[in-house]
Amino acid sequence: MGNNRQRTYYLMLIPILVLFFCFNTLPLLRGFFYSFTNFRGFGGYDMVGLRNYIDLFQDARVGNSYLFTFKLALVSTLAVNVISLAMALALNSKIKFKSALRGMYFIPNILGSLVVGYIFNYFFTYIVPFLTNTTSILADAKWAWVAIVVVCAWQSIAMNTIIYISGLQTVPEDVYEAGSLDGATGWNQFRYLTFPLIMPFFTINMVLCMKNFMMVFDQIMALTSGGPAQSTESISFLIYSNGMAGGQFGFQSANAVVFFILIVTISVLQTRFLNSREEQL
Amino acid sequence: MSDNTITRRGFLGLVGAAGATAVLAGCGGSSDSGKTEIEVVTYKQEAVKTFERLQDLFNETHDDIHVTITCPNDATTVLRTRFIREDYPDIVGIGGDVTFSNFVDAGILADVSDFDGISQVKQSYLDTLDKLEFVPTEGIYGVPHSANAAGVLYNRAMFREHGWDIPTTWSEFTALCETVKAAGILPLYLGFKDTWTTLAPWNALAIELAPSDVCQQVNAGTTTFAEHYREVAEKEYALLQYAEDGPFAYGYNDACTAFANGESAMYTIGSYAVPQIRSVNPDMDIDSFVMPAVENADDRILNSGVDLQFCVTAACPHKEAAYEVIRFLIEHDSMQAYVSDQNAVPCVEGDFELPDVLDGMREFIDEGRTADFQDHYYPSEMAVDAQIQTFLIDGDVDKFLAKFDSDWTRYNRDIIAKVQDYYATQG
Repeated sequence: MGNNRQRTYYLMLIPILVLFFCFNTLPLLRGFFYSFTNFRGFGGYDMVGLRNYIDLFQDARVGNSYLFTFKLALVSTLAVNVISLAMALALNSKIKFKSALRGMYFIPNILGSLVVGYIFNYFFTYIVPFLTNTTSILADAKWAWVAIVVVCAWQSIAMNTIIYISGLQTVPEDVYEAGSLDGATGWNQFRYLTFPLIMPFFTINMVLCMKNFMMVFDQIMALTSGGPAQSTESISFLIYSNGMAGGQFGFQSANAVVFFILIVTISVLQTRFLNSREEQL
Repeated sequence: MSDNTITRRGFLGLVGAAGATAVLAGCGGSSDSGKTEIEVVTYKQEAVKTFERLQDLFNETHDDIHVTITCPNDATTVLRTRFIREDYPDIVGIGGDVTFSNFVDAGILADVSDFDGISQVKQSYLDTLDKLEFVPTEGIYGVPHSANAAGVLYNRAMFREHGWDIPTTWSEFTALCETVKAAGILPLYLGFKDTWTTLAPWNALAIELAPSDVCQQVNAGTTTFAEHYREVAEKEYALLQYAEDGPFAYGYNDACTAFANGESAMYTIGSYAVPQIRSVNPDMDIDSFVMPAVENADDRILNSGVDLQFCVTAACPHKEAAYEVIRFLIEHDSMQAYVSDQNAVPCVEGDFELPDVLDGMREFIDEGRTADFQDHYYPSEMAVDAQIQTFLIDGDVDKFLAKFDSDWTRYNRDIIAKVQDYYATQG
């Protein structure tokens, strides 16, 4: 009996494992190998040892892309979580048209990033300057990143709100009743009851947000293509544009390896730190 | 050097031996109907309609060969990705730029010097391709099909109405811009949000102000860009004062639309922009002139390079059939159809009717007073277009030139090593 069941589980797992290995692990290992070459993406190549990694830490353009990506990821993650938590609280309260509103606020998530990007492109280039009588924010090397934050946040708030709403629904009503007897209402209720109890959802949202924004690509492609003055080149954008379209396959593979290690490290640290602060009921 | 070179072919050969060969046997085979299948991938996405017509015409008139022509979006990336998988189309239609240099260097393209159609091609365009090779390589690796011409497009009706003359020197050009401005019309509408458009005036200025082989000279270590590009940079910067406010907010499409609607008198772009402009204003009377960057009108040179060439891949198993396809594509009627649709300049000899937007450049084309785009030598990963955009925003010419030189040596390290190695062994 037990043997049979085990076999079923293996039958389910092994094909997936094979697929995962072929389409994920294998390319990763080959990318790792190419990071030690001067491969252009085609033709012959030479082994260059650690040259790509040494160059990586001296390349101003790569350095700027890391700074930009971190700045974008931090600001967007904070903005998205604060706003979507507030939205979730509002959409979880006893208001009219709750379901309809929830549906409406979810729409940005089902639109493709490129579509959203092009719409906002028009918005920032023509509508905002017309209304405020300023020049386009997308043409300003200092502030173009803010436009990207706005688009990223606008789009991902939808999903985060849904996760927070489902979190809020796991908090039983009697906790609030008991709390209100002890005088916990309003801000105190949120601070000492609601927030600690939805901490696991906060963790998942923070980790997902951070990871997604670190890998930001579509929005940049649609809004600025890395400009103006190369001020909005994210790491993924640089890896794609110089690794695939340019001839730096080897060098950008090294960049991708470093980027991969970085994302894993950040996600693990974040999960550890936030998990330690979760409460169990 | 060559001892530790691992070719991808060798590496994949090992993998292939494991039994994947049957699956990988992909392109260039014979189809079920017994016809030879030829696949052409071109990067001329804007010419997809023309090529569809030519493809159908070819298939109707040939019983033994079936051709498929595709023009994917971002074709060079598509091609590179396919090359990684060792999946080669029979013919690639690419521009005469650094992509071609890389493909030749990587040994992906076949020598086509035994193709009889080569004799029809104008020698100057074969020379252009020859110069694009990193180190002189024996043989011909592409059949030049058509060239483009870049300079300044102008609204002919508007010029007639105001009685403006075509400028032949830089001071005449700036004076004209002042006159246009005084008439309450924007001289130029620039779409510098799309970084690549910064290269259009750049190239047109650079071929008159810098030596045509400046990149090769730098690679050989005999000069620097700072020495030759200062005037180019300053003159492009000077264009900004004649353009709309904040040209970095608007893209190529915006600029074409504005020019088409008569908001500006001129646009510093190539003839390839005309279909885009006419899609907004189909009846617009557009002509062009050569960018006058110099003070002596006789020193003007037209910026014209190989815009489309057909290369046979080394992996193509049916070279004769591939030649038949190219022969068809460069013969008079197919060429005329392409030239009329795309406002292009044919690279082959013959009596062609040139599009009227090239009227102002006609004498330069006929006399062969042309030079290749300098950006055809720039490695794409160096993003020279974005560097020019950065410079145009902050206006610091010294910083720009210093960065240009230092980035050039960094991004071309392997090529410079190869070139200097070549000259060291050659003598």
